[in-house]
Parts: sequence; structure tokens; C-alpha cells
Amino acid sequence: MPLVALPDVGGPAQPLLSVRGLQKHFPLRAGFLGRSAGAVQAVDDVTFAIRKGETLGIVGESGCGKSTTSRLIMALMEPTAGEILFDGQPIGHGGLTLKEYRRQVQMVFQDSYSSLNPRLTVGESIAFAPKVHGLDTRRAIARAHELLTAVGLNPTQFARRYPHELSGGQRQRVNIARALALQPRLLILDEPVSALDKSVEAQVLNLLVDLKAQFGLTYLFISHDLNVVQYVSDRVLVMYLGRVAEIGPVDAIYGAAAHPYTMALLDSRPSMDPGNRRKVPPLTGDPPNPVNPPSGCRFRTRCTAAEPICAATVPPLAPAGQDHAAACLMVLPGSGHSRAPAIAA
Amino acid sequence: MTDKLVEVHDLHVRFVSRDATVRAVNGVDFDLMPRETLCILGESGSGKSVTLRALMRLNPPRRTVMSGTVRVGGHDVLAASPRQLADIRGGVVSMIFQEPATALDPVFTIGQQIRETILRHEPIGRAAADRRAQELLEIVQIPSARRRLDSYPHELSGGLRQRAMIAIALSCRPKLLLADEPTTALDATVQIQILLLLRQLQQDMGMGVIFVTHDLGVAGEVADRIAVMYAGRFVEVGPVASLMRAPLHPYAQGLLGATVHAGARGTRLTTIPGAPPNLEHLPQGCAFAPRCAWVEDACLSAVPALRSPAPGQAARCVRVPDTLQDAA
Repeated sequence: MPLVALPDVGGPAQPLLSVRGLQKHFPLRAGFLGRSAGAVQAVDDVTFAIRKGETLGIVGESGCGKSTTSRLIMALMEPTAGEILFDGQPIGHGGLTLKEYRRQVQMVFQDSYSSLNPRLTVGESIAFAPKVHGLDTRRAIARAHELLTAVGLNPTQFARRYPHELSGGQRQRVNIARALALQPRLLILDEPVSALDKSVEAQVLNLLVDLKAQFGLTYLFISHDLNVVQYVSDRVLVMYLGRVAEIGPVDAIYGAAAHPYTMALLDSRPSMDPGNRRKVPPLTGDPPNPVNPPSGCRFRTRCTAAEPICAATVPPLAPAGQDHAAACLMVLPGSGHSRAPAIAA
Repeated sequence: MTDKLVEVHDLHVRFVSRDATVRAVNGVDFDLMPRETLCILGESGSGKSVTLRALMRLNPPRRTVMSGTVRVGGHDVLAASPRQLADIRGGVVSMIFQEPATALDPVFTIGQQIRETILRHEPIGRAAADRRAQELLEIVQIPSARRRLDSYPHELSGGLRQRAMIAIALSCRPKLLLADEPTTALDATVQIQILLLLRQLQQDMGMGVIFVTHDLGVAGEVADRIAVMYAGRFVEVGPVASLMRAPLHPYAQGLLGATVHAGARGTRLTTIPGAPPNLEHLPQGCAFAPRCAWVEDACLSAVPALRSPAPGQAARCVRVPDTLQDAA
């Protein structure tokens, strides 16, 4: 029985994936008796939706929770709180089973080598999941060959090779082919080009753009590279220390950022113009430790516009434009911050 | 005209093992003036880090075969005895690495590691060395420097660790600082801090700097000159502005086109087809020829010589006009 693409359930207006109040705390144990010594608040009250057919980019620095978010969505770990709906249906609890869910959501990781089984040929790796899902061996291998062609690798040349016989870019193509093997609707790409050289990075980005159109995919694209995220995304989510700092259309985020962290992140990019170099770093210091994050707004310890109110109030996401929201008291009308807009009458 | 700080002539580095010989660096020539910053730009396997390490002879001695000349601050590095080499390292030239967590010794405090370097090179007492260590941490802008002297590397964040490594490298006021991708492992907001710090220290201390990176943007922030490296050769050298605006060599042009930049959205990225050559079996001619859209017969027979269309600019490509042959 061949695999068939799974149907759209809720129609185009229903988000493909919604995440509500997602939270993941890793408890820390101290001492001989393993008493609780606080928790790493890796993801804290994160809410967003991925629309059908779009690419949502997530940017942020190390420790901001972007990879934990992707692993929670992939159901590779249990959230501390919050829920995930796929096309309107919950995962488990009488909704989609994990096996059904994983057919529709697949992931590509940063490290192309450690995410492939070194003892399987790339053809076997790609054919593995279709076999688990009921395809007979002959059909699964034919499918693997189709996919290798789709990602630009000649199957007669590559299907029998082992991962160590491929370059980094070729291995990442194999990972992408494997992720596509079950005809998923959502692809989670966690730093897929970060380990690649520039010339190869461009090849893989072009491939991802092509595959999205060819297979009608939706992408969640996670990266620390602002230029890459701008290139591939329709909307962008900026995370800082486990929380959403800002979310909006790519042009709004890059052209009219509302959160001071987003502005600093954008100003931290090299200028690409030797005649007009950066003079002053936009931020000082490193991101704080997520074990004991600052009270109130987590960015306040590095923010030049911070006021006492920022330590007392957790800023909610407030509208900052069309389809654009930022978690900053300077955006929230009547928040008590001196730069906040007045409440409209 | 002042004396050159670094002179490298016809440098070859090969790694020899029982199974194969890898030709990592295949004839590199360059000079560096005092107070100048040169960026070596290249992809993984291009030989950029091996070239940098050759300047301090840090490549594994048993497997490495080097030829050519390397002079740093008047010292002949390739001919130096182990004792002379130990004087040169740290005293004349020092290096900072990509990953401060592995480059620092985990069982000694930052203060001990700085003091060790100072006491090895200078005839001063421990108390003076300690004072100097604290000064150094202040120079690299580590907050509450006095307290941080007693910190172990694991107690510091990534950005602070990289600052501590810079402090160790600068502890004996070297004339030349070698930086091997020092910001690649850092977050964006920290990377720019470290780049600006290095640029300022270079000016304050009057050092020459050779900076290896794969990131054109990083090179644009710090370099006076850029050398683009491919398959163990400098394929293009030029002032930072002209190289970033109008590179001469097809590989450098491809690299510039493949770099994702603001404004690329909606357009197709230009790519360089294929992959870099195997350094065990280099082609006889131009190593980039198999990937080059402009390849002609002359490219395949011999490695193209450096051709220079304007002062300070040169590329190893037969298509580049050589108007300054006599001057070069």
C-alpha cells in the first residue's frame, strides 16, 4: 500500500500548528539527596501559530529556548505546561496519536552527521520510516530514490553510500530527503545550514525554497543567523531567554522592529561596508543565565531604556502594527513606562 | 618605510601519514606591516587555519612537513630551535582560538594562566605579575576584574571566556596577534563586542593582526586587507573595500554572491556548483577550474600566476588583466 498524503482538516484559515502557553522547566538537583535547586526556565509561556504554507522563522541567541521549542513541538520531550494543536487537533489525549502526528511533522537538525545512522546507507536511512509506516521494501527503496533525485543527489551514485562518504552539504540533503519521506506537512528546520560553508549554504537554501513550492510544505525555520532568517521567512519570531520578544511579518521585524532586543540584534550584524563600520556595540555583556532569569522583563538587565517598572511587570505581547506584536512596556499603551503610548480614548 | 612584521615566502605545508599526503598549503606568499590587519577568508579545508598555525609552528610536528620561509618580527620561525620557539610564542606572536572553553586550561584560574605566561617571558615577581594580570582583564573590559582573576574558565560566560583568552594572548605585548575564528562560536550581540574590542586593542597596542574567518561580514569589520584562500593558495589579495565591492577572482565573486545579505529575499541565491577539491589529489592547473564558469585551456595546464590590475590588488586568474607586471 503506497503512502498517501494526509488531507487538510481545518481548511486554509486554521493554523497548521498552534502552540499555547508552552512551558519547559528543567529542574536542577543539588547535593546528595537531590533536593530541588531551582529550574532552568528554558521555555516560558510561549504562544504562537504557524499558518498553512508559510515559513515562520525563529531567531535568538544561545539559551533563548529556540531549540527546546522545536523539540517540544516534535514531541521529543514533554512540556511542563501548555498545549500544541496540529491542524486543530491535540496530540495524544484522544487526538492524533504520536505516530500519526510524526507522519505530518518532521525535523532536520543542525549536525548532519550525528543525525544519520552511520551503519545504514543513505538509501536505507531514507527508506526506513516509510517501511515502519507500512510500505514494502521494494516500494520504500523506490521512494528513497525519488527523494534523492528531488534533493539533487543522483540515486545510482549516492543511495549505497554511507554517511561518512558524503560531504556536509550532501549529508544535509540526505537529512532533508529523509524528513520528506513520509510526505509531512510541516518541516521543522533547526539550524539546517549553520554548519555548512557559505557556498554550500546557498545551495541548500535554494533547495529548501524549491522543495517548499514543489511539495506544498510549511516550514518552521530556526536559526541564529538573521540574514538567513530574513531570506527564507514570511514571518519572524524573536525569542529572548525563553520568551517571545517580538513576532511579525519579516518586513516589519527587519524594517520597523518594536522591541529593543530585536533592534540590538539587527544592529549587531556586521555592516558589510568597510567604509561605514560599526562603532559601538549595541549591547554589553552576555545573555543572562536562564536558571535565575531577571524578574519582570527578562531583557531589562541589558536594555538601555529599562525603567523600574520593567522589573515589576512581565510585559505581555502588545500590538505594534499589522499582524505585529512585541513584548515591551514601551509598546503597551498606559503601561507606566515613560515612553509608552497613551491609552487611546 | 618600516620593516615588515611578517614575511612569508613560498610556504608549503603537507600532512604526511602512512596512507596519504594532504597538501594543505601550496605556495603562500604574503607580507604584513606593523599595525596592519590582514584577514584570511576561506571555507573549511582551504588551509587558512593551517597557514595561521604555521606562523607559530603549531601544526603537529611529527606529521607536518613545511617548506619555504616564515619570518615574524625578524625571527626565522621554521629554523628556530625549541627554546627560541618558546621565546617567540607568547613574546612576539600569540594566538586566540575559536573555542575558548577548550583553549583555556580548566584546572587553573584565569589569573594563574595569565601569570604563568608573564613569568615565563619577563623577569618580574609574582606580585607584579598579578597586578599586570588585573590590568589586562580591565583592558579587555571584564567587569569586576579583581574578582574574576580567581575564576575558573567554566565559571565565565562565553563572551567573558573569549575576553580572558585575549588577555592571556596580550599578556606579553606581542607584536603580532593571530586570531583563528575568534567570534564564530559566539552569539551575535557578543560577536560584535569582541570584534570591536579586538579592533580597538589592535590600535591601542599597535599590533599587527592576522585574522582567519569564513565570514565576509566579520572581515569587513576588522580588515585592512583581505586574502581569499582556496585549496591552499591565496587566490586573491586586496584592500578590504575593493575586495568586498568588486572581487576579481571567480571564486571570490562566487563567495560574495553566495553570502546571504539583506535584500536577497525573493531572489535566487547564486551558488558555486560542486565542492572544493580533494587536497590529496590536487589538479595540475587552477584548483578552482572544475567549478569555474569561465574555465579555458590555459587554466588546466598550470597554476595561474598572481596578476595585478591595480596596486595592492592581485588574483590568481588568467582572466584578470596584469597591468602592473613590473611593479609586482
